[in-house]
Amino acid sequence: MRRVLLGLSLMLSALLGVSSPAASSRAAAPTLVGKNAPDFVLKAMDGRNLRMSEFRGQVVLVNFWARWAGDSRQEMPALDRINTTYSRAGLVVLGVSVDEDLGRAREFAGAMKVSYPIMFDTGAAIGRDYLLQKMPMTILVDRAGVVRYSNVGFKRGDERAYLDHIRELLRE
Amino acid sequence: MSIIARGALLACAWAAGAALAAPPATAPATPASGTTAAPDVAPAAGVAPADNFKTLDQEVQGLKKDVIDLNKDLFVLEEELLFPSNTQVALYVSMDVGAFFALDSVTVKIDNKEVKNYLYTAREADALLKGGVQQIYLGNLKVGKHELVAFFTGKGPAERDYKRGATINFDKGVGAKYLELKITDRVAKHQPEFSIKDWE
Repeated sequence: MRRVLLGLSLMLSALLGVSSPAASSRAAAPTLVGKNAPDFVLKAMDGRNLRMSEFRGQVVLVNFWARWAGDSRQEMPALDRINTTYSRAGLVVLGVSVDEDLGRAREFAGAMKVSYPIMFDTGAAIGRDYLLQKMPMTILVDRAGVVRYSNVGFKRGDERAYLDHIRELLRE
Repeated sequence: MSIIARGALLACAWAAGAALAAPPATAPATPASGTTAAPDVAPAAGVAPADNFKTLDQEVQGLKKDVIDLNKDLFVLEEELLFPSNTQVALYVSMDVGAFFALDSVTVKIDNKEVKNYLYTAREADALLKGGVQQIYLGNLKVGKHELVAFFTGKGPAERDYKRGATINFDKGVGAKYLELKITDRVAKHQPEFSIKDWE
């Protein structure tokens, strides 16, 4: 009897797993990994204009964040630590706010006190190019300008994964 | 010749170039000094192996040149197709001296419609200061009268935020139209000057 029940529950979970929209969307989520990082130019908080393609030859970590995404609050200090340690080794960390409210995004970024450049994108073009679906999103671009790693959201342990990938890319 | 045909030719040329550039499988082994070991494949009668490689290298170089030429033709054809000369309008930005102005961005409106908004990085602005000319816009316009307005933003004298505009009314004829957005210094007034030049 127990075996029959187990079999039935397995079948049910398999069926649910197949038909679950969340699972199918995860499987079908498009990614930029292996493709060239789309170029963009944005104004940073300090007034400089920064162009993605001008960092060719360096390893670039781009973090798309939004004030309303709770994970961003945890991720930004972690990225700041990474930037402090690895900027001398050739890593560039860029933060891109996708908040529509520029004033509040600036306020939030100022309060976070991160050492890496924060840029503001109030249009939708860059988000579309980078296939943004959920905030925050972090991508790692190698010295040749190719996206090598992408992470959506932020949870405990992701910082370790970033470090592993960064070290690998810096060694190349 | 159509673009497709040229594309096919280009692909063939690349393939041939790659095949020639690959090391030959039957390359003669370098004999050790003092030995009389013969190479795997004997060179053609009367032609030294070094001459063979020289000829091969020349052929590869020739093919590479052909590929570059074809690529250039393809680019020109593509441009002619997308922007035919009877409707083409091209805008360029140049900067002279720049002691009184640090360029940040240029916005271009043609007939009150924004066609370009370009943010300059420090490196790009520096390239303009060194004499570079940037093609900021390439588009199509029908024959007739048009108005172009360019807005320049940046830092003016004494690091003040600076925004100025320049306007030009021009006639678009049957040929391509070239316009140059010029940023110069007006030394007497210690101010930058913005103008638009119509290259007839």
